[in-house]
Amino acid sequence: MDDIIICRCQEVTRQEILDAIAAGATTVDGVKRRTRAGMGLCQGKTCERLVAKIIAEQTGRPMAEILPPKSRIPVRPVKIGIIGGKDDE
Amino acid sequence: MSKDADIIVIGGGIIGCSVTYQLSKLGKKVLQIEREDITRGAAGATDGVVGYHTKKPGAQMDLAVQSISMFEHLSEELGEDVEYGFHCGGMQPVEDQLQWDILSGIVEEQRKSGVDIRMISIEEAREIEPMLAPDLKGALYSPTGGKVNPIKLTIAFSNAAKKLGATVMTETEVTDLIMEGTAVKGVKTTKGDFYADAVVNSCGAWAANIGKMAGLNIPIQPRKGQLIVTEPIGPFMDVTLQCARYNVIKFRPEAVDDPAALKIGNSLSIEQTETGGLIIGGTREFVGYDRENSLEAIETILRRAVRFFPALKDICFIRAFAGLRPYTPDGLPLIGKVNAREGFYIAAGHEGDGIALSPITGKLLAEQIVYGKESYSLESFDPNRFPLESA
Repeated sequence: MDDIIICRCQEVTRQEILDAIAAGATTVDGVKRRTRAGMGLCQGKTCERLVAKIIAEQTGRPMAEILPPKSRIPVRPVKIGIIGGKDDE
Repeated sequence: MSKDADIIVIGGGIIGCSVTYQLSKLGKKVLQIEREDITRGAAGATDGVVGYHTKKPGAQMDLAVQSISMFEHLSEELGEDVEYGFHCGGMQPVEDQLQWDILSGIVEEQRKSGVDIRMISIEEAREIEPMLAPDLKGALYSPTGGKVNPIKLTIAFSNAAKKLGATVMTETEVTDLIMEGTAVKGVKTTKGDFYADAVVNSCGAWAANIGKMAGLNIPIQPRKGQLIVTEPIGPFMDVTLQCARYNVIKFRPEAVDDPAALKIGNSLSIEQTETGGLIIGGTREFVGYDRENSLEAIETILRRAVRFFPALKDICFIRAFAGLRPYTPDGLPLIGKVNAREGFYIAAGHEGDGIALSPITGKLLAEQIVYGKESYSLESFDPNRFPLESA
């Protein structure tokens, strides 16, 4: 059960997330910095709530304290050329 | 009052974690206090350049030489892989004759520290980095620079310190310093009061706030750097690369003729991480403690990236982020004892060089605190060079 993958993009297991919580992580952001969960292509769209649920179970904290307060741009992957390309392209 | 530790270190960034580790290594009982979480500030929102080529000639370059030599065996020493890219090299392509002339001058100064840095033709640069645009003029090249994963490095310092007996309190905010006359005796926090023989202020861009609690005016200001990270791709580049404007803005801001570029301090800094994503920055903006991303900055960063690496236009970026670098008026960090406050030390103000200078900063400050004298002089970084007691 603990070897199931929670973050598919970075292949982070439930055990690794439990280890990060034991090492002091109390938020999704804290787990991310310690394990890379949520740092991949989907940027946590799949695993964020799963990670948050595990933290809530382990620490008893409310979800509002665990989830990141805001998202960073972009919402979905964007080609660099769309924003940083030449004006005539 | 009985003491809780030999030394209290305030701040859980790269510098605080390095200082905590080095003090623990020298046998001291350390209590580290962090307001949020380890690597939550600038250390977790940056690239991992460990290069010579971006260092200010003189004292800062000499210190970088000392620091970079420590990186070579750091993974083994700390017992965790910090993804150090040994001798990946550093490069700064130039676009025109003016940049070539300015960088040639800086290179001459930097070489005085005994580092292999030189100007090369664009043909030679493209043999090293084939993805570079062919219409550039040439590049500054430093073959022996490295790169590191800054988050892994910070956490590795912290874990190694804990193994040596350090206590790390996160989500604990220092609300005041405990003073006896002009001596600092401890800290008041949201989780109680703690006493120690010495207190280290390693709060990066927030160091001035702790300084105020001691009645000091520490001249460190937050300077925002915005960056993006791309989707992971196959091997694209080896070096850490900054455009020439990076050093020009850093060392000769008066030579930048584009007011928009100067306002947000935009220049390209790019590297590929071990997991394949490219980290691309960056800006240098004075906007207080704001850590938001702006479309204006992202656009200029991406435009610069495509200018130097045209193939990047078809790569996706997946996230933008920002960190607050601790700026000092003379571009040098403050490392050492504050003469006017017994038991109070500063290790902050590294701006964009905190990662590269972290090993040596921790080592020398720990030596100064424990032995009263460091093995390599910190004189150029003495905090007392600034009028800390001025109103």
